[in-house]
Amino acid sequence: MNERFYNVAGHVFSLNAGRHDNVIGCMQAYEPFAVAPSDALVFSLRIADKPFADEGVVVEMRQQDEGQEIVVGRQQSGTPQFEFWLHGSRAAVLITSLDYRQGDLYLEGDHRFGINNALMVMYALATADKHTALFHSSVVGCRGRGYMFLGVSGTGKSTHSCLWLKHIGGTELVNDDNPVVRILDKGEVRVFGSPWSGKTPCYRNVSYPLRALVDLRQAPENRIWRLNGIDAYIAIALSVSGKRWERRLADGIHETENLLAQMIPVWHLDCLPDGDAARLCCSTCSGGEL
Amino acid sequence: MKQKKGFVLRNICGENVIIGEGIETIDFRKLIVLNDTAAWLWRQSQEMGDFTIDSLADSLCEHYDVSREQARADVERIVSEWTAEGLVEADE
Repeated sequence: MNERFYNVAGHVFSLNAGRHDNVIGCMQAYEPFAVAPSDALVFSLRIADKPFADEGVVVEMRQQDEGQEIVVGRQQSGTPQFEFWLHGSRAAVLITSLDYRQGDLYLEGDHRFGINNALMVMYALATADKHTALFHSSVVGCRGRGYMFLGVSGTGKSTHSCLWLKHIGGTELVNDDNPVVRILDKGEVRVFGSPWSGKTPCYRNVSYPLRALVDLRQAPENRIWRLNGIDAYIAIALSVSGKRWERRLADGIHETENLLAQMIPVWHLDCLPDGDAARLCCSTCSGGEL
Repeated sequence: MKQKKGFVLRNICGENVIIGEGIETIDFRKLIVLNDTAAWLWRQSQEMGDFTIDSLADSLCEHYDVSREQARADVERIVSEWTAEGLVEADE
């Protein structure tokens, strides 16, 4: 069995490459997360040997972002299916069990792209009811606390992280695109690095207690204010991946988001790409700790 | 009339909020905040499936100490807000 096991934010999953040894070459980003074989898996993914029978898929949703597209649907039998497209060509097709705990992936194009997307989708769906959220965010750690920057693609989340690295002493990059946030027992909220970090190769198996979430917007001046209640919830909800049109999953995601909105301070930062923006953000969000 | 598919009433930070979560409503980029009476009526109308101003007003009178006249006026106002926001649709 050519099966590897990985622990991301405390949830263990496996990838079974079968006889597709070339797939393992795509998994360097996962090495920091590799663990010993385990039976307690949140999900497992197998690489399929041959294409799936064409079952007449009903498309439910298309999600496009920067040349990438995920086509979400169901086969006639009800089996969930996901297609991952890169620059107009289909890289991979994933089918899963109804509870998203077993997946089969058929690779057609870019292997790394197909595997990363399949594992991210399964991770988000299989942990949706576990007070766990896969965010779209850039995250830094600074003097023992985690700070997450939110915003739509192109807002400058990565840029803002870089400004912290440059201007705020003791800062390190945790993840630049898809960190995981968990609400743990005893009410602790932690942000974890992951094997998914967008264009920045930052695959760190580290975590920090989450101190603040900061919703960014480009602006002609630096200004920061606190978001409360529903506004805080919206900023969070827009940054969390999920399949919200499936009620069971939506209930889990909502519960996590709603708790986060009430447990963690959420801020809005109007900002320039300059050091003052990082200093303003840091001094405000750290609550005087830094 | 009836509720359109894909709208869910949730408690967000202590407030009653309707959000679009269905395939049909995924482009609905708004949250509608309801007061407690409106939220109660939303749940009632969901249970009823098909509802009218009168059936909701009857229900309100059964459960709360309010005159029929006042109940009907309240329901009419709230349902017209739902209609304006596109949360409910008339029977075909």
